[in-house]
Formats: sequence, C-alpha cells, structure tokens
Amino acid sequence: MTLASYTRKYLKSAATATAFLFALAAFFAVSVTDVEAQRKFSRTYPASKNVRLQLTNRTGTITVRGWDRKTVQITAVLQKPIANLTPRNLSGTIVIDVVRDNKGRNEVGDVNFAVYVPYSSSIDIETRIGNLQVSSIQGGLVRAHISSEGDITLTNIGASSVSAKNVIGDIFYDGVFQPNGIYRFYSMQGNVNLRIPLKSSFKLVATAPSTRSISLGSFSNASMRFVGTGRRVIGKVGSGSATVNVTNQQGSISLLRR
Amino acid sequence: MNCEKCQELISAYVDGDLSKGEARSFRTHLSVCMECSKLAEDFASIVGFCDEAFAEDSIPPNSQALWCRINNIIESEIEETPPVEEETAEEVPHRGFLSGTFSFSPAQAAASVLLIAVVSSLVTIVGYKNFAAPDDSIAGFEAEPSVFEKVLVRLGVAESPADKAQRRLEERKSAIDYWTKRVSKRRVEWDTGTRVTFDRNMDVIDKAVKQYTLLLKEDPQDEISTEMLDSALNEKMELLREFSEL
Repeated sequence: MTLASYTRKYLKSAATATAFLFALAAFFAVSVTDVEAQRKFSRTYPASKNVRLQLTNRTGTITVRGWDRKTVQITAVLQKPIANLTPRNLSGTIVIDVVRDNKGRNEVGDVNFAVYVPYSSSIDIETRIGNLQVSSIQGGLVRAHISSEGDITLTNIGASSVSAKNVIGDIFYDGVFQPNGIYRFYSMQGNVNLRIPLKSSFKLVATAPSTRSISLGSFSNASMRFVGTGRRVIGKVGSGSATVNVTNQQGSISLLRR
Repeated sequence: MNCEKCQELISAYVDGDLSKGEARSFRTHLSVCMECSKLAEDFASIVGFCDEAFAEDSIPPNSQALWCRINNIIESEIEETPPVEEETAEEVPHRGFLSGTFSFSPAQAAASVLLIAVVSSLVTIVGYKNFAAPDDSIAGFEAEPSVFEKVLVRLGVAESPADKAQRRLEERKSAIDYWTKRVSKRRVEWDTGTRVTFDRNMDVIDKAVKQYTLLLKEDPQDEISTEMLDSALNEKMELLREFSEL
C-alpha cells in the first residue's frame, strides 16, 4: 500500500468519524432542546374522601381520573413559554388557576394536566381552549366547562350534579343519573351523546333548534313529546326523579343505552 | 380583583372599613368595571340617603320644646272634649268597634283588613318573584305563569315575560359592548393561535345570534328562539369575559 493510499484511507475514516461526531452532537442538541421546550410538574396531596378539585387552565388538556387512594396526584406537562403554576390546598379544596397565575403574560404555553383523585371527589375543571376528560368519579359534583373549543368526555360518572359546556366540540357522557340529580349539557356546535343505563329515571328537556336531530333511542316513550316544530323534546323516563337538560344549538343530541 | 370580590367589599368600602391596600385595589377595579362602579355608586347613594334621613328624624331641633307642644295639644283636646251624651241608635247608626274616635262599620273594617291582606300578599309575591327566584332557571322546566301572576302582570305590578326578556336582552347587549372593548384592547397581545380560536368561536356564536334574531323578527312570540337567543348572547358574553382575562 502506498503512502498516498494510506493518507486517503486515513482522511476518509477521519471524515466519517467527524461526520459521526457531528451527527451525535446534533442529536443531543435536539434532545436537549426538546427537554427544554417542556417541563414536568408533579405534586401529591393527602386528601379526604370528599376532596374538591378546582382547576382552571388557559390552554391544554385536563384529564382527571378517580382512584382508590386518599391522595390527589397532579402531574402537568408544561410547554414553552412555561406557565407559572401555584397549586393551593384550601381546607379540602385543591385550587389550581393557571389563568390567574399567569395574568398579564402575553404568551403562555399549553399545560396538559393528568390528575388522580379519590373516587368520591368533586371536580370543577375549566379551560379556555382544550379537551377535558373525567372518568370514574362518584362524588357530588362534576363540572367541566370549556370557554371556546374542545371535546368533553365524561366516563363512568356517578355524580349527582353534572354540568358540561363548550362552544365548539363534542360532549360525551357515560354514567348514571342519580335520583334528584341535576344534569346539564350545553354545546353551540358539536354532537352531544349521553350513554346511560336503560333503567334510568329522569325528566328530559332536549333542544336542538338548528338540526332538530334528537335521538331518544331506547328511551323513547309515550310521554315524550316534540314541541316547537321538532326543535325540542320534553318528557319523562321512569318516575322522572333526575332532571336532565341538553341543549345543542347547532348539532345533534343522542341518548344511548348503556 | 374580580367582580365577585369587589361586590363583597362595596359595603365595607362605603363604611370606610377597608385597609388602604384593599381600598386602592377596590378603586382600581371600579375604574375598569362599569357594572361594579354603578353598583358602588348606587349603594353609596342609598347609604347617604339613609344617613341623612336618619339624622333628620332621630334628632329633633329641640326635643324638650317638642314634647311640651305635644303635651299642650293633648291637654287642650281633653279640655275641649264635650261631655259624652247618651247616644241613640237613630243619632249614630253604627258605632265603630275600636273606640269612639273611629267610626268604621264592620263591613268597612272587614274590607280594610281584606285590602291590607291583598296588598301585603301582592308585595310579598312580587318581592319573592323579583328577588328570590333564580335568574338562570333550567330552560324548559319553568312553570307556566299562574292566573294570579297573569293578573299581576295585567295590573302592571309584575313584569310580563316579554318585558323580562327584553330587559335581559338589553342587559346582555350592554355587557357585551363592555367586554368587547376589553377584548379589543387585549387581543393584540394574544398569540396567533388564541386569536384564530377566539374568532372561530365568536363566528359560531354570532351566526346563532343572527339566526335567532331573524327568526324572532318573523315570529316574536317564538319562545324557543327567544330562549336560544338569550343563551347565545350569554355564551358570547362569557367568551368575551373569559378571553379578556388572558
């Protein structure tokens, strides 16, 4: 092998190594940027069975799940620009208000919450933009409000007072209607689907003025009457102990058998 | 400070019971919130009026002289009262049952009692209707007005549903104007995504408002459209208010 070929081989391998090192550096740089673009927040509170969670978000998703522990675990992934977050425990109510904590800041990144609470908790969550999900809650109250757009999904709910509201987006409720409970679902544009047991007992007022699409499914009975040229259904299922009011200004309403 | 907190503190502020910091924060809120400012003004004027009236009534210019005058009047009336003669049935057809100074017949007395009962019932019911009934009752579950309520409306004592709806509509519109101004100041600071989302949602609400306004022009008595318009305007107000905080 000549000196020239040695030199060429050496240079080639050096170039390959350099390229490899550059690629490695670039990979780490991207990874570090990714890590810096978001931050994780985590906190756990001891809680009584009847704890109340009051969470107000600016943008991002909120997922709340019931669990069989006497603690509240809050995890949040904060996107850049990182939001200020100062949860407070006020005599049995855990309060997180991202809107108030970041008032006056022009740009705040999404905050995606995942919260675990005892089954019997009361949940009051709202966001300006983003999806809300609540599951396995049997406490007194579930309130999920979106100021603008986002889907609301409430599953395995046994609360006696439920309120879900958004402007654009779907609302899905899968749970029971407790005797004397009050249930209210309101959307401007989207689909509202309620999945409840066949033996449910409730008074219903369902209004879908634009589409007139109100499907009662298995819950249709002789007491149900369409009024206002089909824009509203009023009636009773069973003894009618719970009160259910559903309004969807520009979308459909469906009652499904659980 | 938010409206709720501000309204809680109005009374303490008017009485001068707030700390300097709280009072400053309170005044700052009043300078930006028309609704609370008006409420505080009304409250202050009521308290001022009550204070004035109480001051005038509770301290007579010369209480001793006043009592002397009252005593003199009573004594002079006792002296001037002619001796009571035996009255016959012909002279006074029927004497009042309370005392000699009253001359109500039982029928008049019964009518008065009935009138007092009716007036106090009316006042109680109107007061209850106006102040105790929740404003945001669940749509569709509102009871039909009773005959009595209809009579109250006819008499002009209570508000008719149409008047009530009109009043609510006016209130909503003025609140929307206020929050629209707040949002137009704030929205330049929002990021593009927030602005686009806000506009998209506002479009949906405005379309609904337009739709129900047109429907109500065709049929002003359409209850569902009235209700939906009211609720769409409420949504608009809420959207504006909540985004003005961002």
